[in-house]
Amino acid sequence: MSNKAAEKPAPATAEDTTRVELRARDVSFDWSATPLHWIPGDPSTTHTINVLHLLLPAGERWFVHVYKQALPLIRDESLRADVIGFIGQEAVHSRAHDDVLPRLRALGLDPTPYTAQVDWMFEKLLGDRTFPPGRARRWWLLERVALIAAIEHYTAFLGDWVLGAEALDRRGADPVMLDLLRWHGAEEVEHRSVAFDLFTHLDGDYRRRARTWAVAFGALVFLWQRGVRFFMENDPLLDDGRASVREFVRGGRQGVLPTTGAILRSIPGYLGRGYHPSKEGDLARAVAYLASSPGANGRAPDRATATDAVRTDATDTAAARTAAAPNHRKGV
Amino acid sequence: MRRLLTVAAAAGAAILVKRALGRRVERSPLWPMPALPEPVSGVEREAPRGFVLGVAERTTPAEGVVMLRLTGDRGALPDWEPGAHIDVVLPSGLVRQYSLCGDPAEADTYTIATRLVPDGRGGSKEVHEQLYEATEVEVRGPRNRFPLVDAPAYLFLAGGIGITPLLPMVRAAAAAGLPWRLVYGGRSRATMPFLPELAALAASSGGPADERLLVVPEDEAGLPDLAAALAGTPRDAAVYCCGPDPLMDAVGELCAERPPGGGLHLERFSPGPAARPAAAGETSFEVELRRTGRTVQVGADTTVLAAIRAQALPNLPYSCEQGFCGTCQQTVLAGEIDHRDELLTDGERGDSMLICVSRARGGNLVLDL
Repeated sequence: MSNKAAEKPAPATAEDTTRVELRARDVSFDWSATPLHWIPGDPSTTHTINVLHLLLPAGERWFVHVYKQALPLIRDESLRADVIGFIGQEAVHSRAHDDVLPRLRALGLDPTPYTAQVDWMFEKLLGDRTFPPGRARRWWLLERVALIAAIEHYTAFLGDWVLGAEALDRRGADPVMLDLLRWHGAEEVEHRSVAFDLFTHLDGDYRRRARTWAVAFGALVFLWQRGVRFFMENDPLLDDGRASVREFVRGGRQGVLPTTGAILRSIPGYLGRGYHPSKEGDLARAVAYLASSPGANGRAPDRATATDAVRTDATDTAAARTAAAPNHRKGV
Repeated sequence: MRRLLTVAAAAGAAILVKRALGRRVERSPLWPMPALPEPVSGVEREAPRGFVLGVAERTTPAEGVVMLRLTGDRGALPDWEPGAHIDVVLPSGLVRQYSLCGDPAEADTYTIATRLVPDGRGGSKEVHEQLYEATEVEVRGPRNRFPLVDAPAYLFLAGGIGITPLLPMVRAAAAAGLPWRLVYGGRSRATMPFLPELAALAASSGGPADERLLVVPEDEAGLPDLAAALAGTPRDAAVYCCGPDPLMDAVGELCAERPPGGGLHLERFSPGPAARPAAAGETSFEVELRRTGRTVQVGADTTVLAAIRAQALPNLPYSCEQGFCGTCQQTVLAGEIDHRDELLTDGERGDSMLICVSRARGGNLVLDL
């Protein structure tokens, strides 16, 4: 199997020895057996997590779009390599979540009214033409790079949370959905520093960091609240579905959602002067999960050409599982 | 009293506002944001994924060779051209690639032929033991990594079951009235499929039939004389070869000394980057960057992406370099594309390509860059 990306020497700097080389993974998930309420008996939590599928396809596509424009501005080769790896991972994330949407539609919950508006937000409101060419547009690019850094603080937070959310396993959550969330979460933890490093490299202004954090946090709360409400009200299996704060707090207590306290505690984290994402999350646990994720290992990287794709890959996956298992247990 | 009225009025107004807002949000989940008229997210990609075909007919055209005609219940299958292959997902989950050896004009059928390799990696054994009439298999493709280029004459060199991708090429050359010659080696006549059809094609193509077709069974005549075959071919002919590795290596060496004008085209049984040197069978070509006003050379041993980054645009975005992330997708203004990714939909394949893996088919390309 050829992993061209893996052949490149891993960039390493003196102050950061835990650096992993970033590369996109080809994934496949089979949604044909996933039920609408994939956390059995808990539609509220299911839909709170499902909001990810509404926001991420358009959102991560937008990350890629913005970063392609930022690429020529990078003056640091190791950061450039990170950003290139980041772009591929985000592009695959976007499509992996996008593939869930037709399944929701097939189960009677058409997400299009919501996603069409999210599409408008990312393609138009946050698109390139919001400001005229010249200095305003350069300002707008920096502003969007800073917004992405703030959002990535939360994706890494959620990613680290889902990797340790054993309550989801205990509740019998759909294994394919859990694999999607944990593979994605693990890659978010893996590349947690890239967006912040890029922002620091291009600008790093503290006022911009604080301002864009406020916008991103406010927007996430707004989008999430509307998203849960949309799902609960349109769920064909619920007679009188309603989103409520109480259900959210309950989910946090039961460990199937992040706790409200943890979310509030993350705020001073990002706004602290000494903040760096490499201090957040459990990288070892994320890397161990990536080695064992069925979706990220179930298909040969070279399935286009390798005739013995399935067999070779099955052996590799088994080997990776054995190798990763001790770490994984330690991490959890 | 007045204070009470004010409070009541404010409460009433609040209730009205909440209701009005509720109605709007019910109709438009992210009110006051508008919707994108043509949504991008959640649109099911009609990616060229697999489709299920059934075995309509199983025959044995030669000793140890099984030929399957695969048909679907939805009529016409995707078009293909000589040299194309399909991926077949066997019942065990193994994925194997088989060249299409039927007639491209037969739109509802894919025909493949496999030889049983008892000590092989299991694929042919599964085909021989498990695929019978009415068995269903998942098929992906077709894709063509062995396309027939335009040339004034052709020399085809087949070893054993390597005849499968060459058979439709021979038919195409014969139908076009172009001069062609096939040297077909095998262990014995009984194990070599398609001999009657090839003889008929040779007889109908004009000229002495043994000029067209040279059948070389090893038990009667030993190994084919490749040097003589190449020497007797017009200089501008295209040479196509498919067969076991020793045959391919021998042809490769002979052609390195005296490169055929139409190029040497190889198809190995076991493709994959480890088995196939990057340059084998690849051709070099030019890519014009229309907006930049530059033209870059893409050598046989490099990719379009690497060539453009090295020669013209170092900041061109890309990421996975394996054809699945989609970052390097570019619009193609002119030229025929040899798509090697598995990501783009058929619609996208019309005018765009992933430049990290896909190449030009035959001529040159013009990109909107």
